[in-house]
Amino acid sequence: MRRAAGILVAVAVLVSALPVLGYLKLGSRASTGTVNLKWDDFPIRYFVTNRGVPGVTAQQLQAAVVRAFNTWNGVDTAQTSSQFAGFTQAPPFDDDDMTVLGFLDRPELDRVLGATTFLIDVRTGEIVESDIFFNATFPWSTSSAGQAGSFDLESIALHEIGHLHGLGHSALGETEMRTGGRRVLGAEAVMFPIAFAAGNVADRTLKADDLAGISDIYPTAAFQRDTGSISGRVTKNGTGVLGAHVVAFNPRTGKLVGGFTLSPDGSFVIAGLDPGPHVLRAEPLDDGDLESFFDATFSVDLNFSAKFHDKLAIVPRGGGTRDIEIKVSPK
Amino acid sequence: MIGRHAWRLAASVVLSLAVASPAAGQVLIRKRVREVPRTGAWEVSAGAVWLAGFDLEDRTAALTRNSTTDTSPFEQFTTTSRLAAATGVQGRLAYYVTRSVAIEAGARYAKPTLAVRITGDAEQAADVTAEEKVSHYVFDGSVVVHLPQLSFASGRAVPFFALGAGYVRELHEGDELVETGTEYHGGAGLKVLSAPGARRSGLRVDVGISSREGGLDLPDRRSTQTFAAVSLLYLF
Repeated sequence: MRRAAGILVAVAVLVSALPVLGYLKLGSRASTGTVNLKWDDFPIRYFVTNRGVPGVTAQQLQAAVVRAFNTWNGVDTAQTSSQFAGFTQAPPFDDDDMTVLGFLDRPELDRVLGATTFLIDVRTGEIVESDIFFNATFPWSTSSAGQAGSFDLESIALHEIGHLHGLGHSALGETEMRTGGRRVLGAEAVMFPIAFAAGNVADRTLKADDLAGISDIYPTAAFQRDTGSISGRVTKNGTGVLGAHVVAFNPRTGKLVGGFTLSPDGSFVIAGLDPGPHVLRAEPLDDGDLESFFDATFSVDLNFSAKFHDKLAIVPRGGGTRDIEIKVSPK
Repeated sequence: MIGRHAWRLAASVVLSLAVASPAAGQVLIRKRVREVPRTGAWEVSAGAVWLAGFDLEDRTAALTRNSTTDTSPFEQFTTTSRLAAATGVQGRLAYYVTRSVAIEAGARYAKPTLAVRITGDAEQAADVTAEEKVSHYVFDGSVVVHLPQLSFASGRAVPFFALGAGYVRELHEGDELVETGTEYHGGAGLKVLSAPGARRSGLRVDVGISSREGGLDLPDRRSTQTFAAVSLLYLF
């Protein structure tokens, strides 16, 4: 889900789910452990609520949603597809066996631009239904160049449809605290939980982190063959750090892909990386609200300073490099 | 055939001078020996090679800036990459198609350090140089042209120049990732042979420059690398 407050805009996922593995994937606890949230049947058939808001008609909403779905479907290393099934009078967030995207009036969510809910098979993690609402309280635009003072519907739809596919939030961004909340300085993932300012359309384009995430959930054979992973631990004084944000940077291509340490021993996995040497950087998860990334059971350690690993991590083609340890120090 | 013509020319000059000096009462023919191998000879050499370092890509970890007016990226940190200079070994096998022209195959191995300097972190993470050792191989072929007319030290020191191309194979640390490329090289050097004879040993010194593409570098980027080598050779 994405939220806004004053000049701030953020997004949050209204789903009782857990991040799974390295980065973006959503998961749910099952009796057998944690299962990934993902669609098993394609194309994803979705409806659009036949309702507009000032500045955006229902048809413009539908067109923006189609473009956003097509952007995800166009990732050539992932296998997804979708189909617009028609307009509906049904609002999003109903358990009606229909995946519905549309506007809702939610003035009480004064920092939430949009959100995604799921109906899942708790045994397998299969997504049965997913709804997305866009908060009609905010000003919206579908202008191709963006419109000052209005949030870009296609950008927010792209983010929420990322959740709809099973992606969680990315932490690839820098923020600063201002009166009223957090403001994004820069981000390199559509799945960053805080949206760009009104009028900005930069989040219509998926970034390397988004591509790695969607491809990791729905991989093509070429993706599995041609990319690799890095796994290891983040430790502080010899013990694991939970909830650290780990970024892999390719110094040849400039691509950034992030992940998290998701177990008490500080272990992490970052997948979907191009073969070659990577720079690793670990930092505390202090550029967003923790609940945007983890549920309340996670005791995230924020008491350490950002640090680069002093060795290059070599990503093999179709495999993984393991046993990397990034040793961080308390602040 | 260039070498053979040069030898004949030199010999005829010496003879002409001798014939033109009958007043001395005797003819002194100084036969200048040129240490040019015979056609069909083989030469094998092995020795040490020094490879200069060169710069690779510099990159900025760039975030998309949250601005509708400022399109410059938000820089999180910057990397400067360099393949450091290294010493290694090389071996070459040459076949003389004429007395001055040889075709040659060679192999080279070195283990340079790939160093990535990381600076300017937006959250003040300390600057670091992250490194790895790379196994660097080149398998190449060259045409070597000897210049006996420029020889010295009683003809035993023979300059040469060489041109060729090669296949670059570089293994990252852990040997789980191979990156390949091509290179073109040119260079010059000197061979100093021992006393005349069908089988001779000697010393070979090369310097040159290689223009390479691929390997550790981006596929569409070409880098240049100078090299120098000292080898022992055996001619047979």
